[in-house]
Amino acid sequence: MGPTARLIRLSTPSRIVPGLVKGRYLARRASSTSQNPNKEAPVAHHHRPPSHHHHHVTYSETDDAVPWLAKQPLHRLSLADLVNAEALLSSARFTLSLLPIRLAHRIQALRNLPYIVVSNPNIRKIYNNYQHSLSTLLPWQGRTISNLEDEIRFTEVLAELVQTHTDTIPILARGFLECRKYISPGEVTRFLDQHLRARIGTRLVAEQHIALHYSSSPHFDPPSSPTPCPETPGYIGVIDTALRPASTVDSCGSFVADICELNYGVRPEWFINGSPETTFAFVPTHLEYIITELLKNAFRATVENGQSKSPVEITIAPEPPSSVTTPITLSPPSVSLGAFNKDHIQPLDDNAPGVTIRIRDRGGGIGPEVLPHIWSYSFTTFSENEDDPPGAWSDDALSVISAASSGGSSIAGLGYGLPLSRAYAEYFGGGIKVQSLHGWGTDVYLRLKGVGRIE
Amino acid sequence: MQKLPYVVVTNKHFNEVYDLYYTAFDTFRKVREVKNLDDNDRLCATIRTMLNAHLTVIPKLAMGILECNGLKDAAELDKFMNTILRSRISRRVIAEQHLALTETFHAPWFSPGAKLSESDFIGEVFLRCVAKDVVSRCGDAVTSIARRAYGPDIALPEIKIVGHLEANFPYILSHLEYIIGELLRNSVQAVVEKHQKSKNKSAQPPPIEVTICESNQHVIIRISDQGGGIPRESMPYLWSFSKGPASKEILANLGQVPKMAATMQELQIDDINPESNKKIETLHQKYGHQSVQSLSAEEKEREDRAKYSSLASLSSRPPNLRLGMGLPLSRVYAEYWAGSLALHSLEGYGVDAFLQISKLGNKNEQLTTRATMDAV
Repeated sequence: MGPTARLIRLSTPSRIVPGLVKGRYLARRASSTSQNPNKEAPVAHHHRPPSHHHHHVTYSETDDAVPWLAKQPLHRLSLADLVNAEALLSSARFTLSLLPIRLAHRIQALRNLPYIVVSNPNIRKIYNNYQHSLSTLLPWQGRTISNLEDEIRFTEVLAELVQTHTDTIPILARGFLECRKYISPGEVTRFLDQHLRARIGTRLVAEQHIALHYSSSPHFDPPSSPTPCPETPGYIGVIDTALRPASTVDSCGSFVADICELNYGVRPEWFINGSPETTFAFVPTHLEYIITELLKNAFRATVENGQSKSPVEITIAPEPPSSVTTPITLSPPSVSLGAFNKDHIQPLDDNAPGVTIRIRDRGGGIGPEVLPHIWSYSFTTFSENEDDPPGAWSDDALSVISAASSGGSSIAGLGYGLPLSRAYAEYFGGGIKVQSLHGWGTDVYLRLKGVGRIE
Repeated sequence: MQKLPYVVVTNKHFNEVYDLYYTAFDTFRKVREVKNLDDNDRLCATIRTMLNAHLTVIPKLAMGILECNGLKDAAELDKFMNTILRSRISRRVIAEQHLALTETFHAPWFSPGAKLSESDFIGEVFLRCVAKDVVSRCGDAVTSIARRAYGPDIALPEIKIVGHLEANFPYILSHLEYIIGELLRNSVQAVVEKHQKSKNKSAQPPPIEVTICESNQHVIIRISDQGGGIPRESMPYLWSFSKGPASKEILANLGQVPKMAATMQELQIDDINPESNKKIETLHQKYGHQSVQSLSAEEKEREDRAKYSSLASLSSRPPNLRLGMGLPLSRVYAEYWAGSLALHSLEGYGVDAFLQISKLGNKNEQLTTRATMDAV
């Protein structure tokens, strides 16, 4: 297909001036034509909602596929799917069956945002990323991956996908910040909660396959893996079956303490009690993210409250195995995920031994004015300055965002730490609760469900 | 109550409660308007009789809820229970406050217009509940009850109090003592039972840490124990009056309470009164009262009133009489005064309970909600 004019149909009805839009999109489309020689005709492209105008517009194959794919039910990911997929090929096939649908759902969600929001260049970039990724996966759809050569190429596609979407969060943040006049903070929070949770799952599935690929015998080459996959035998892909949270706390703690020393000149201390020798099965990168964010909050509060002599107390409590055979219903995730609420991963079984980690600091607590907002993505604080041109104010926010995304040494809260940590914790059936003693300190309860017994 | 399904109200316990309220309503509406002190005395006598008769309402309601387990949705039963308890609190507070004020008025040592600040009590409301004192008093009471129940050779955990020790606020003392008593009782029991199962029984069990934190608007009391946490099976029923699988056992326990409350009317409550008497005495001495004479009169009145408090009978029950109501009932009391009660469990390790008390008293309460509550 040549770079002819295409109109990307948005599902919200809007008065589009065909000529204007065509012209604008022409330039973009030209650069992103896929050069895939193995293209096959998309499946079932006859499925077209009747209200579309047919006259002078045609559809890219991605557009066709999205409505059809999005109508497919989401496979309820279970951890059994992730960890029992030993054979590399079946892992590849499984990943291939999941990803296009998940991407399509994301595209659909983005399409439902107000037009003017998606017109923002940053949001648009993310939208295009998803479209592009889906287009690279679609050609694979009719095929079964039955040999190693195919599998290698598929893994490359996956690696590219993971790489493209690495910076999604800061870019989306920037975009929503710029659009704060056109969309309410509540809507942003709702969209982001859903989107970021889904993103966790999609990346997990992709990274899992990549890690398995590089640690499997035909391709044993872990150092080349673009995603971390240590060679220790306890690892199944990205899951460490013998993850010791105390070690994670210590390493994240020293990292955050270094930042504190850099910014404040003081190095807070911490100690671990409870059962520090506990191990359980979890995804190390997720745990590191959560612990880093929580310790950032605790350390900063402690130092700013002048209590740097009081160490942060971290208690690790392994859940005793349940002796009850009747299934317990887990409390639903703290945010309503709407139509896609089956998106979170079902734990392997209710007997999966988990861990509760309590982080207790003397940082003065969270004031009652701030407490209701700790779970929203930090756009509310900026919306007061509507009169300021977006450049002036958001420079501060943007510099914070870009510092955070490049791993810079800023310790100031982006506002994403808590909600995103909670998304990670809840994804496997756990959760985070925050209890503030205003005037004294804060207690954070991090409950994590393990991957469970693996046969 | 008339709006509950027929089958629920025909339950024996609910029925008794319904009759009690019906009688009360009937009696009160026949009382003439109070125009002078004699009328007031008659009114007080009526109130006092009613309060006595209604002592057993709470356990009866709880039993009714448990027996009606399958008949109505648990969530709705809880909502009903919470509403009726809230309105009960408001009625009893008004009633008891009036009785207290009347008795103070009639007391020989009181003269109208005298400064009330010396006694620190306005009726039932204790103006300067010092958190630390209340906690240590409740702690001692709970410890002595536990000591009596478990025997002399079981090691009991120490209760350590840290934080802003001088924090004080106005509150109704009996409510506060009930809530903190229940929380400490749960903690002590959990710690003792966990410790007994562990290897070194002779060593001192881990202490229970109470942190008091004061800010502009609130006083927060955190009770942190290492009693092994709340088992997963119990979690869904923690704040509910319906107890699921454990209902039968709790029902049997509840059956013993009305007898307790009934007998309390005749005999002195030896268990709790001597201690609370002593403590109140020291309290009053601390705040510099004039003479011991006047104390004993006032103190005696409090003692009499304590007999009429349904909470007192509940607080002095032995620790292994698990009634399953401590937490939800405490929460009703806490939330009634614009506070809150939250629990966080580290399963396998222990529990942290957070009691938040509003310092600003009635300024924090939303008047509209109170109006609807009292309208029930």
